[in-house]
Amino acid sequence: MKRSSSSPILSAGVVVVSGPLLMFSAYLLFTGHNQPGGGFSGGLVAGITVLLVWAAGGLDSVRRVLPVKSNILMGAGLSLAALTGFAAFVPGLEFLESGYIKLHWPLVGEFKIVSALFFDIGVYLVVVGMAVGLIKALGHEGSAESPEESS
Amino acid sequence: MFVVVLVHLIVAGLLVVARRQLERWAFLVGALGPVATLIYLAANWQKGLDGNAVVETFEWVAAQDLDITFRADGYAMVFLLVVAGAGLAIFLYAHRYFKPGNGPTMFAATMTLFAGGMVGVVASDHVLSLFVFWELTTITSYLLIGYDDRQAQARSAALHAAIVTGAGGLAMLGGLVLLAERSGSYLISEIVANPVGSSIAIEVAWVLVLLGAITKSAQFPFHAWLPGAMAAPTPASAFLHSATMVKAGIFLVGRLGMAAVATVDWWQPAVVAIGLVTMVVGGWRALRQYDIKLVLAYGTVSQLGFMFLLIGSGVPELIYGGLAALLAHALFKATLFMVVGAIDHEAGTRDLRRLSGLYKTMPVLFAVALAMSISMAAIPLTFGFVAKEAAYHGLIYEGVLWIAAVAAASTLTVAYTARFLFGAFGPHEEGQEPAEGHRLSLSNLLLAAPAALAVVSIVVGLVPSLISPLVDAGTYAVTGHHHAGHLVVWPGIGEGLAWSAATLSLGALMAWRKELMARIGDAVGVVADRLPSGEGAWRKFVPGLIGFADRSSSLIQNGSLPTYVAVILLVAITAPTVAVLNSSSGVALVAPPSGTLFEWILGAIIVVFALSLAFVRRRFAVVILLGGVGYGIAGMYAVFGAPDLTLTQLLIETLGVALFALVLRHLPATFSGPATARVPRLIVAVLVGAFVFAGGLAVTAARTSSRVAESFLELSVPEAGGHNVVNVILVDFRGFDTLGEITVLVAATLGAAGLIRPMLKKRRSS
Repeated sequence: MKRSSSSPILSAGVVVVSGPLLMFSAYLLFTGHNQPGGGFSGGLVAGITVLLVWAAGGLDSVRRVLPVKSNILMGAGLSLAALTGFAAFVPGLEFLESGYIKLHWPLVGEFKIVSALFFDIGVYLVVVGMAVGLIKALGHEGSAESPEESS
Repeated sequence: MFVVVLVHLIVAGLLVVARRQLERWAFLVGALGPVATLIYLAANWQKGLDGNAVVETFEWVAAQDLDITFRADGYAMVFLLVVAGAGLAIFLYAHRYFKPGNGPTMFAATMTLFAGGMVGVVASDHVLSLFVFWELTTITSYLLIGYDDRQAQARSAALHAAIVTGAGGLAMLGGLVLLAERSGSYLISEIVANPVGSSIAIEVAWVLVLLGAITKSAQFPFHAWLPGAMAAPTPASAFLHSATMVKAGIFLVGRLGMAAVATVDWWQPAVVAIGLVTMVVGGWRALRQYDIKLVLAYGTVSQLGFMFLLIGSGVPELIYGGLAALLAHALFKATLFMVVGAIDHEAGTRDLRRLSGLYKTMPVLFAVALAMSISMAAIPLTFGFVAKEAAYHGLIYEGVLWIAAVAAASTLTVAYTARFLFGAFGPHEEGQEPAEGHRLSLSNLLLAAPAALAVVSIVVGLVPSLISPLVDAGTYAVTGHHHAGHLVVWPGIGEGLAWSAATLSLGALMAWRKELMARIGDAVGVVADRLPSGEGAWRKFVPGLIGFADRSSSLIQNGSLPTYVAVILLVAITAPTVAVLNSSSGVALVAPPSGTLFEWILGAIIVVFALSLAFVRRRFAVVILLGGVGYGIAGMYAVFGAPDLTLTQLLIETLGVALFALVLRHLPATFSGPATARVPRLIVAVLVGAFVFAGGLAVTAARTSSRVAESFLELSVPEAGGHNVVNVILVDFRGFDTLGEITVLVAATLGAAGLIRPMLKKRRSS
């Protein structure tokens, strides 16, 4: 049942690049508030990574590296974004109005946590969920030309 | 009031949840709704009688002026009393009416929901909440009429009622919104207090409001749905289709009648004419029925016509009489419907030709029916008589034509009352199989509930001063007049009594010579059947409507993706173009800046890619070319210094092309179809291109206010603590938009995956 990879070079290449790609994706997410990037572009990079994994190892590999249903990713993302909006009511702000706290941790130094980051993480999860959902729906091995391979 | 409505909704919800456990006990739980209304009435009784309104406002969407406002004045209290009083009796009755194991909990829940809707209708002051509650009663009525959904007749009757009253409700909404917009307030109390002068829009508005009222209250020519609604189980008929829902239209014309009369001069003649014709048509048809429930139903149509012309007339004296008649009608008609239900329950038929000697076998029920029938016929010493005298008093004041017309129409009431009473309780007809009932004990709610209402009716008929303060307060609330009439047991020898006597004796004559009446009826029927009627129009209307729906949806929803895209694009470019061409300021186009050589090269690449798209037949090549266009645009963003857009554009093109490639695995390699089929698409494409080009230039030229970007740039760091203003816009300044967009993204993904998966599975398995 387990389908061998279409190309060993592709498989090896994906193994090599997917780590840095995911780091880049996370970088875009966290730096977005002050530099180019953000949840949307970060999520797209992660989506592209998943697509590469699919190209190398098919849906089985995608399921192995990301054992979460796409609907759960999207649902979690949407809920997180909405909850961030409502959380602004607690300190008496408007819906989705962002606030931030400055922290000073030893070794790490001074940094700032903006509430909008959680909103952006929500966007990120939705975008990744979208990509994974479409890949899973469309990327079945048993495609039109080889029906006998279906699972 | 808010609490009362909430109690109804919560109880209805509980009944749905606990339907397995409750069975027919559900009606006793549902009775909590009417009880809550009664408690509310008791608490605010004196306030209402003093002419004060209890106003509750709950701010909802303040920016849109959308508040939920309840306003319970004397007029609303009259209707609340009917809803709660009749409702309580009918809920108790229904508990015994349904056989165990019949699973009537959903029926009980729907009735409770209806009662809540009715309370909302009469207590709403805001136009829109009135409409919502109004349609809640339409929907619950639909569910109750069609309760026995295995019967085609019940289903079609339910649909008939829902379409007629639903369409009327929409008309009413249109009318009320027009009125509200013109008078500057959505509060009915303010619309009524400051009627705006007549104009075409206002005339149209009043026509629409009247349409809503006459459909809801089963006035001619829309009355046909009401007899059909008798397919509902009797508790629903007694509650909705005699005592409460059908009075919503009357409620509306009473609430707005004074303002309407002050604005448009056709209102009063129209209301009086409609009411009179309805009285005659309903009364006449009642005389032709053999099903005692249908006798009562047409009788209700007739009585509704009577109340409609009184309460809608905008004359305080008539409104006074009308409100008294409304209370009397609710008491006797709800009771009589319950009597019919009890007869049906015990004797197994409602055919007056078969029912035999029930006055002997069901004596107490007969006593109840007799007491209420004489009230319906307005014989002295009954509430019906007291109310009718009050109405006659006002009609005499208006002129001899008014009183003569109404009295003549009322003779039919006397006649069909006799038909009902003797038909149900007297001997059966020759040649028909007799049906007899069983004695019911008074402890049986099937008898006790109507008997209780009958006692109330008798007491009020003998001591009308119990109810006259309420009628007076109700009249005062809509007319501003106190003492527009009075309720007395015996009016004394006078003109009013003379008209009553004439009505009664002529009606009795018609009842006595019923063979003659039947022959006249047959003769009239020969002619009447040829005339266009409400029922006939309805029977033609439904297939026509369904056919129209079929044709229009096969035209609009033809399943072709290119057609959908073309329609969307054409609308998207036509609407703004028309708006711009019609605008007074005109259009100016700015010549684009000359641009650097690098920009020209990028532009040329985009154009070449885009143009070649039109000539390529292989799908894969199309996807690659589209991606090329996207990358070119990303380059443009980079040149103009928008790194965020560049990054996102590059990423989305990459992922897009790759996902497209996945789709292509399941599609033919090339586009098929003749080249001529592409001509319309080319035209659409050129139009869209031209629009975007010209639109871009025009929009750049049309800037009048300062750039919003500047304030965003200023506020980004202090307000949101972010240096990347693009991101700050997305997550903060326009965060609501982003939330909406990701919601759409989720919905679209779910939809796409949901459509693709089964399609591919089917293809794999075949």
